[in-house]
Amino acid sequence: MGKTWLRDYIIKRLFYAVIIAWGILTVTFILVRIGPTSPADKYLTNLAARGEEPAQVIAAIEARYGLDKPIHEQYINYIGNLMRGDWGWSFSTSMPVIELIKTHWIYSFQLILLSTILAALAGILIGIYSAVRQYSKTDYIATFFSFIGISIPNFWLGVMLILLFAVQLGLFKTYYDTGIPLLSLANLKQLILPVITLSTGMMAGYTRYTRSAMLDNLRKEFVRTARAKGLPERVVIGKHVFRNAILPLVTIIMFDLGSIVFGGAYLTEIIFGIPGLGRISFNAIFADDYAVVVAVTLISAFLILLINLTTDIAYAYLDPRIRYD
Amino acid sequence: MTKKGIKHLAGKVGGIKNLLIILLATLWGLTLLADIFVVEKIFDPLGYLYIALGIVALRYVVWPLYTGRRLVQYYWQRVKRNRLAVLGLAFILFLILLAVFGPLFTPDPTAANFEQKNLPPVGFTTEESIYNPQTGQFITKTISGTWEHPLGTDNKGRDLLAMIISGAGVSLQVGLLATGIAVALGTLIGVVSAYLGGKVDNILMRFTDIMMTFPFFLLLVFIVFIFGPNLAFIVLVIGLTGWTGTARLIRSETLSLRTREFILAAKALGASDGRIILAHLVPNVVSLIVVIATLSIPGVIMAEAALSFIGLGDPAVTSWGMVLRAGQQSLDTTWWVAVAPGIMLFFTVLAFNFVGDGLRDAFDPRSSV
Repeated sequence: MGKTWLRDYIIKRLFYAVIIAWGILTVTFILVRIGPTSPADKYLTNLAARGEEPAQVIAAIEARYGLDKPIHEQYINYIGNLMRGDWGWSFSTSMPVIELIKTHWIYSFQLILLSTILAALAGILIGIYSAVRQYSKTDYIATFFSFIGISIPNFWLGVMLILLFAVQLGLFKTYYDTGIPLLSLANLKQLILPVITLSTGMMAGYTRYTRSAMLDNLRKEFVRTARAKGLPERVVIGKHVFRNAILPLVTIIMFDLGSIVFGGAYLTEIIFGIPGLGRISFNAIFADDYAVVVAVTLISAFLILLINLTTDIAYAYLDPRIRYD
Repeated sequence: MTKKGIKHLAGKVGGIKNLLIILLATLWGLTLLADIFVVEKIFDPLGYLYIALGIVALRYVVWPLYTGRRLVQYYWQRVKRNRLAVLGLAFILFLILLAVFGPLFTPDPTAANFEQKNLPPVGFTTEESIYNPQTGQFITKTISGTWEHPLGTDNKGRDLLAMIISGAGVSLQVGLLATGIAVALGTLIGVVSAYLGGKVDNILMRFTDIMMTFPFFLLLVFIVFIFGPNLAFIVLVIGLTGWTGTARLIRSETLSLRTREFILAAKALGASDGRIILAHLVPNVVSLIVVIATLSIPGVIMAEAALSFIGLGDPAVTSWGMVLRAGQQSLDTTWWVAVAPGIMLFFTVLAFNFVGDGLRDAFDPRSSV
């Protein structure tokens, strides 16, 4: 019985995911269509600026993008092209968008991965310590700093780190060097400031969540029972309290990835000049390169969809208490 | 119109205050239509947002606060015990005064004056090497801050204090207006979804899911990129995209209210769905709405600042993000330009977080503050 239940749940979730994916595509299509300028206009201005004959390229563009076709046909083509992996042409870099993304995603990935791991580890550890020693000096200091961490605008923090450590002290370079191989200590060193920038807010958030989740569970009856049994405090905290507190935390971390981290990484990449997806979207905005901006927005949305789906399913699988209908 | 006629009309829409609100809203709509189709520019777009939100706030914030003075006093006693919340409130009031009266005492924040560029704040000195065309040599000149420009100037000679004050106005406007729109929309969607349930609930929640799947800031960047930066538009976009969290929270709160006795009683007495939603459900989630609103303002202010910071802000107004952007580009010469707007932004966000936390504790009957 248990197995079929899980299977039905996964099928249902997948079905929802397809609907949401369709919704994402439709929303972006509508937004681009009702925008005051069409992609072709922006493309055209750029070609004309390079000295090409506008009249000549109009036909080419319209045929290329199918902009002369009725709107429903455009819509079907748009979805069809994206599904086939044709994400359009980036004229500002003169390559297919999909190629552009393939060469740049790794920079965003390394930044987000390192920041999330650091934030989660530090946040959870500080949160546990803070909860176990509630109202101690350490707890007050941790709470104070987590308030600061949540309130500090991360793009300002980035600028201040550059000002202090790169401009004034000269410890780091002010710009990210792509010449350094990704898997090297030098690369790790130049990621220090960006990772601090991106992870501070997250870390503060996780500290607060962990602390309150731990405190909630510490008050429960089963903790008293465990202590009464004579279990050592380490086991009570580590096995009984932490295990119960950690699950909601995983959802929060996953949810944060979508709501905060992607936006934060976008800004961090811009500040430090890291050539990830955020940076190429930023460059594309000022080059009026539509296809890239659309693609980066779509990719982030799809990634979040995938993350949410995985979290939900893993959750249902891992937590035996959860039963959805 | 006779007294009786007014009474009859008021009875139809559920009381004299509702009648007043409907009249105000109609007036607002007519002015807007007249503005679009007949004459040009009665108010600017932000003006309309202000008035619309003012009407909603009158009905759902000012009126209940006035009729529930005793309760307000009770909550104020509870909030007052939280010193950080009071401190935050004081800072917000200071910021409002600064934004309203500051521009009267400071020069135009956009006026460039290259004679007085790169001036440090009062109490700081910098060294600048100046090329002397007569001797063909560089001379090092020490510049110290003057009281004429208490926070110094940027590399175009614009007064930093004036820019900060202008930015305070922008941030507060965006924070309050966009949050107002987002929370109003989120509440409506959440309450309707929970109360009506079934298909409506399913469709509204799937739509919420779709909106939630977009990373908030990237969606913002995307829309502003397509439609162009304009402050009123940015406010509207943040409002129209930022309601999802509110909708979810209000929905789950309403779900537990929906089956309570007083709702059943209202239904049994023949109240319409609209009346139950507006007169019974919404007032019962007001404390939650207030907390959500206060705690969403920081995110909204930061989102606008981040947009301006990457160059997608309204170029016509001086906002903190824009000043920070200018500061970042000249970090090695004028560090203070990057420091000042960030500090203001940080304290503003901190203040709203403190107040929000204080309100949440005050409204929570389980907490003993």
